[in-house]
Amino acid sequence: MYGIADLDNCYCSCEKVFRPDLEGKPVVVLSNNDGCVVARSNEAKRMGIKEGTPYFQLEQLFPGQKIAVFSSNYELYDELTGRVVSIIRQEAPAYFRYSIDECFLYLDGIEPERMQAWGENLHRRVKREVGLPLSIGLAPNKTLAKIASRLAKKFEAYRHCCMIDSDYKRERALQWCAIEDVWGIGRRYAARLQALGVRTALDFAQHHEGWVSATFNNVCILRTWRELNGEDAVPNEQLAKKKSICTSRSFPGMIADLETLKTHVANYAARCAEKLRNQQTVTTILGVFLQTNPFREDLAQYWNFAETRLLTPTNSTIPIVKAASQVLSDIFREGYLYKKAGVIVMGISPDSPIQMDLFDTDAEQIQKLKRLDEAVDRINRIHGSETIVVGTQQYATRDEKGRASVFADAIKHEFRSKNPTTRWSDILRLK
Amino acid sequence: MGNIKIRRGDFSTRLELTDASVVAGFPSPAADYSHEKLDFNRDYIRHPEATFYGEVEGNSMKDAGIFDGDRVIIDRAVEPHSGSIVVAWWNGDFTMKYLDLSHRKEGYIELKPANEDFPVFRVNAGDTFEVWGVVVHLIRTFEKP
Repeated sequence: MYGIADLDNCYCSCEKVFRPDLEGKPVVVLSNNDGCVVARSNEAKRMGIKEGTPYFQLEQLFPGQKIAVFSSNYELYDELTGRVVSIIRQEAPAYFRYSIDECFLYLDGIEPERMQAWGENLHRRVKREVGLPLSIGLAPNKTLAKIASRLAKKFEAYRHCCMIDSDYKRERALQWCAIEDVWGIGRRYAARLQALGVRTALDFAQHHEGWVSATFNNVCILRTWRELNGEDAVPNEQLAKKKSICTSRSFPGMIADLETLKTHVANYAARCAEKLRNQQTVTTILGVFLQTNPFREDLAQYWNFAETRLLTPTNSTIPIVKAASQVLSDIFREGYLYKKAGVIVMGISPDSPIQMDLFDTDAEQIQKLKRLDEAVDRINRIHGSETIVVGTQQYATRDEKGRASVFADAIKHEFRSKNPTTRWSDILRLK
Repeated sequence: MGNIKIRRGDFSTRLELTDASVVAGFPSPAADYSHEKLDFNRDYIRHPEATFYGEVEGNSMKDAGIFDGDRVIIDRAVEPHSGSIVVAWWNGDFTMKYLDLSHRKEGYIELKPANEDFPVFRVNAGDTFEVWGVVVHLIRTFEKP
């Protein structure tokens, strides 16, 4: 059995944790630079606020209506969602974090008759301990689990956990699910399918396999079709492949000091950025792992992994290297001999112009970084890899005043909430 | 030669006092007796995912020994009971008070201060009210490092 656990209206729900008075009220979160609406609470959705609505239009479109508006506060979202993942780690036999607000769950070992109760309990625990609403979809494969989680969110009767475990339930679910909402069916394929008269997931599933192959000649679409029909067809590696890039190496010797490690990690990070640019994608989550040599049982052993949320989706070398150095510093412990480190970037999405608008940071700055990266890539292509590198890649950092910090500070965030879980100055005031 | 010997002696003494993670590679005779260090995070924060921190404003809980400027550790995984010191959202603020459930049968519960100059809050059955978390520890700093 597979599961998907994802947070309902993640950003808005995070804002509500420390504002219980906003329960049942419309809440929206704006993109970086307070450009437009990127997240809406159920109440905001019901009011008719659309994703992407520019902030300045809210007042005109919804005159006199009370809407709680927040600037995006990724520091808060990252910390709170990290707690949720930590609970999932304790409860699920195995999991894979797919994005900031969703995890795939691998539930082998949990008996089928206990499954529903297990899911409801996970929801309850996360709601009570972290204060966030988690929905759980359970099914024999990932595509159906995604649909189940949509159902879990949509209908209260499921108590936040929906399980598709019979053909009858599967067909009912597919009938309910519009084709464009099926995981793995991109916008373009959805449009083509609709033109061919396929409206729901069930319409698609009921076509013959030969028709699917002949029409699309695409292995991913065929896998989706198989999963809608109940097979387990999307390989686990595909999740990782599509949604994350990892660069890691074992060192020739062993390394004890942070500065030398930083040089290596910066190089891996730069490599990840390059890979992202090669496939025209951007990342939102960056992780670093670090380990000693497990074969040297005579030495003290240490292993750690941590991740951070990038302020703006990016494929630019400088912010990615900076984030990696920061995470490395967080997990590094003195007194061990390290053998291996790696950088993994996740939450990957296409570097499309739409994305740029949605997360409109400082357009000019982004363009500058983009031109810089293009120039660096070109030179490195012509003169050999790593002809031009970021300072950290070459030697120990002396001055933290890199471009990225200026970059982050330049973002406008007029309605940013506090960070009660990451800054002592912001902890709860108790009267 | 003499110098080297002294150093060796020094080193082995230190080995016994510290733990087994010795970079030099000597096995420590004390390794078998090693025990994990006391650790506040590990031993006092029982539910890290459910733990939040708060700073006290005012002296409404002074008779409970909690004063203005104190910090408290809040655990949302702990079940509140009558007599718990809880954090609740009340009138647009987070407030910290004793929870009194003894009037539940009469249809209300109370949030009680530990200071007679402050009022008791009464929460009636129909009111939207939720205990946000339970206060499990108090931190007061006497000397700043």
